[in-house]
Amino acid sequence: MTRKRFAGLFLLIALGAIGVFGNAAPVRADLNANEVISGITTPSTDEITAKGDPGAEKYGTANDVTMTDAKKGVTLGDLANQAGQNKVAINFVWTLITGFLVMFMQAGFALVETGLIRAKNANHTMMMNFMVYGLGLFAYWVCGFAIQMGGSAPIANLGGVYPLNSEHVVNLFGKPWALFGTKGFFLSGTTYDVAVMVLFLFQMVFMDTATTIVTGACAERWKYSAFAVSTIFLGALVYPLFGNWAWGCGWLSQLGVNFGLGHGYCDFAGSGVVHAVGGLTGLAVAMQLGPRIGKYNRDGRPNVIPGHDIVFVLTGCFILAFGWFGFNPGSTLGASGNGALRIGSIAVNTMLAGCTGSFAALLYMWIRYGKPDASMAGNGLLAGLVAITAPSGFVNTLAACIIGWVAGILVCLAVEFFDRVARVDDPVGAISVHGVNGLWGVLSVGLFADGRSNYGGSWNGVSGSVTGLFYGDAGQLVAQLIGIVTLVGIIFSLSFIFNWIVDVVVGQRVGAKVELAGLDIPEMGALCYPDFQLKASDYGAAQASSIPASANR
Amino acid sequence: MRLIGLVCTIGGWALAVAGLFFTSAVGGRIAIACLGIAVSLYGSLGVLNGYYLERAIWKK
Repeated sequence: MTRKRFAGLFLLIALGAIGVFGNAAPVRADLNANEVISGITTPSTDEITAKGDPGAEKYGTANDVTMTDAKKGVTLGDLANQAGQNKVAINFVWTLITGFLVMFMQAGFALVETGLIRAKNANHTMMMNFMVYGLGLFAYWVCGFAIQMGGSAPIANLGGVYPLNSEHVVNLFGKPWALFGTKGFFLSGTTYDVAVMVLFLFQMVFMDTATTIVTGACAERWKYSAFAVSTIFLGALVYPLFGNWAWGCGWLSQLGVNFGLGHGYCDFAGSGVVHAVGGLTGLAVAMQLGPRIGKYNRDGRPNVIPGHDIVFVLTGCFILAFGWFGFNPGSTLGASGNGALRIGSIAVNTMLAGCTGSFAALLYMWIRYGKPDASMAGNGLLAGLVAITAPSGFVNTLAACIIGWVAGILVCLAVEFFDRVARVDDPVGAISVHGVNGLWGVLSVGLFADGRSNYGGSWNGVSGSVTGLFYGDAGQLVAQLIGIVTLVGIIFSLSFIFNWIVDVVVGQRVGAKVELAGLDIPEMGALCYPDFQLKASDYGAAQASSIPASANR
Repeated sequence: MRLIGLVCTIGGWALAVAGLFFTSAVGGRIAIACLGIAVSLYGSLGVLNGYYLERAIWKK
């Protein structure tokens, strides 16, 4: 072989080797969305018609993919669109079903509250919990939702919800302060939109939870007309305002972007937005209403006024615990994409905190008073659930247990504080359960968030995972503290001011004679238990003679 | 008295938010925020509640 021929042969062999080993994968053409995918085998409709499909082997095939051109066949673009539609559909269904669970919590609240008050007021208390749904829904539909979520787009899990793109922002001291949304009134115009409807339903049932909390704190002496007006205001303005600041891209959520405070105020499912707002509004109204006749002696010592049905109370607590599986896991607004697969973790955190809360409360009462008190065990469960609501998406199971445990003890201490020190009469412990433990839940995000969650790589516009003080981010704690002071300083004040106006114009409290007789007949026109002979309250009878005439409005 | 209580309650919030502008140190912001919360709580549970306690039905 000559040198030239050898070189040529060597070159050929070398090129061949490069061709085999250097180009192991075939060269890819650019993907074309209109390219028809061929060679897919699917069962024919005749086959399914003739034989059925008992083993679920024939349904759910390429035949079910929505095709832009059925004659052409399935294209890559069709496949991509179907995948996107499926993701959004899964998230719509998840959000709606969890929203239905939260709606059912209304029954739980109704039972808990009615069980903790006296039988002579049962109709009135039940009716407050019943109508809070309709009154709140109406107020929220008119303007509450727009104020809260009018500028919250985009929400990726629900397909964007792009019509909600209008937020009122003011610039003060060199920073933008987003205050309230301005789109979505009456769900009209461009907000007549399928994604907006899903979001509205879910947010509405959360608002309803906040409004129902107030009825518990004010039970047994609140005029039904005053309750109605107060509820409309709470659903139309107070709740949506804070909801916007926390969840609607408002200024609280942007504390991370604007001031470098962690990821801004973080409240996964609403310890602050729902429970603290409800509890603090309950405090504002209960303060103005004053205590029930017979609750305090002349020297200020409190008397126990027991409820009439512990079965109601504990059954209601079970219903609430069940509904909370919608409250917390549902707040991912989806089960597909952007970290939504954490729904199992969130649900387990919820269970653990509720159980440790009830256990801690039970132990506290047993050690302190010698008996395992049923109503406090129930309130302990609720306190744990309230407290885990904000951190549920950001913490691990150990933190959930600690948060619940602290909540269980905190609710017992808070009940004693409001009863004996502050002397604010709260028949069902709503202020202690929801107000105090709502604030504890907000704080616990700033302490226990472990930085392991990942909801699409960012939260509130700040990249990374929400992390609390114990895992290295003290700025998050500051953001939570600002949220707490906003709740106590602004939301409480707003509720106080409006209910003060209601007191002046309508009058909040029933007259003494009405209160002693029971609210069912004078306010509602019917007894809850007409077949039963109700026992006259000893406390009420003793106090009746000492009530001045001016109290009988 | 109620107006004073409201001013104190809202003032606590204003103090906490102002603290974000006074200092960029996290420790300082935490301290001012806690002080703001205390002022708000005093306004609500101390002053406002105190007003209603003075006029409580069980004292009449």
